[in-house]
Amino acid sequence: MQKQSMWSLKFSTAALVLIPTAVGINYIGKLFAGLLKLPLWLDSIGTVLASILAGPIIGALAGAVNNVIYGLTVDPISFVYGITSVAIGLAVGILCYKGWLSSWSKAALAGLIVGLVATIVSTPINIGFWGGQTGNVWGDALYAIVLAKTDSVWLASFLDEIVVDVPDKLLVVLISFAIYRGLPGSVSQMYNNSNKFESLD
Amino acid sequence: MKQISLYADRNSFVHDLDPISKLYYILFSILVPVILPSISVTLICSFLSIILLLLAKVFKKALPVFLLVFIVLITVVIIQGLFRPGNETIFLKIGPAVFYKEGLLYALKVTLRVTDIVGAFLILVLTTKPSDLVESLVRRGLSPRIGYVVISVFQIIPEMTSTMSTIMDAQRARGLETEGNLITRIKAFIPLLGPVVLGSLVNTKERAMALEVRGFNAQGNKTFLNEEKTSVLSKPIQLGLLLIVVMAFVWRLLT
Repeated sequence: MQKQSMWSLKFSTAALVLIPTAVGINYIGKLFAGLLKLPLWLDSIGTVLASILAGPIIGALAGAVNNVIYGLTVDPISFVYGITSVAIGLAVGILCYKGWLSSWSKAALAGLIVGLVATIVSTPINIGFWGGQTGNVWGDALYAIVLAKTDSVWLASFLDEIVVDVPDKLLVVLISFAIYRGLPGSVSQMYNNSNKFESLD
Repeated sequence: MKQISLYADRNSFVHDLDPISKLYYILFSILVPVILPSISVTLICSFLSIILLLLAKVFKKALPVFLLVFIVLITVVIIQGLFRPGNETIFLKIGPAVFYKEGLLYALKVTLRVTDIVGAFLILVLTTKPSDLVESLVRRGLSPRIGYVVISVFQIIPEMTSTMSTIMDAQRARGLETEGNLITRIKAFIPLLGPVVLGSLVNTKERAMALEVRGFNAQGNKTFLNEEKTSVLSKPIQLGLLLIVVMAFVWRLLT
């Protein structure tokens, strides 16, 4: 099937309605991770799923809306990290369009790339806002050690973010891939923007 | 149903201001300390935000957010005080730990900047109903479709949270282990999340059809249910804030 360009700005209603659902899934993912006391955030499953199902633009929008809503409801700092969410949505959408999400091993590799993208985008924000820390205990401990050894704020902050973000995004992409594979075709086809109609008469 | 927004309904002049002026204020509190990066300027901006929060009678609701932020800030003070590159002047010795003046000053700067920005955002968040904010953005050219997307999140999340507790109970009744060691808890994640996600994705189909039937994609001018809240103060405030930012910029260029 010929796909429409992934950068198309003409959204179907189904794709638009997917955005609030994606934000809801992010929220629920974070809640479950908290309830099960998992040491990761797992708060971008919805964004990743939206990107897989409806392309990078919808994924990026879902990321942006997600952080705005978080900022309005839980934690005003998340406005600042909206850019990271947008980057995650874009990265997953592009990787998926290029066919990276077709097998478990490729999905794992895609997860590592997404984690790296998130780290690269977040590090300058961390340095500008917090002076380089992330607020995660393990990451910040590493930050302190590297800062004491090497005198480089950028390296310390980069490593601080990478140890937290890469495992998190890897797991998020794998979980989203697992859910995506389990979706019935009637659901996963719905957001496809190809708008082709076939008539039977 | 549980309210998920931080908005607090009070009677104050900050509440009566339009959301756009509050957005201007956020821009102002981020830009001025960036243009004039001295401790005193950031201190003034932070105080301004805190005074406005007090005047809006929402300071009590702001405290938990500030507390959360300060926990992180304490680690910033410790780490920067101990390890910041360029630390030379010894300020304080506690046992084997040596705090340096340069690092502590830097941590003070970070603390003030974070307080300033969080305070400015809190003014918007605590005194503005999310739907009012979205509505005034739509009036100024945001696509009404995107506006719907943002507002509907506030309906969907409580819906999904209640589905979530139903599914949690159902899976536990079937014998799913949700407590125990890390592996057990990770394994429980997918059977819990899967049904919620699938159910909500199926719901989007119905929602999309319901919207299309009601003319979601219709062209033409949209009208608003509520009248716009306007204040005589909003234009002068917006202009004043812009003027201060421009003046700060000129000041920076001249000195």
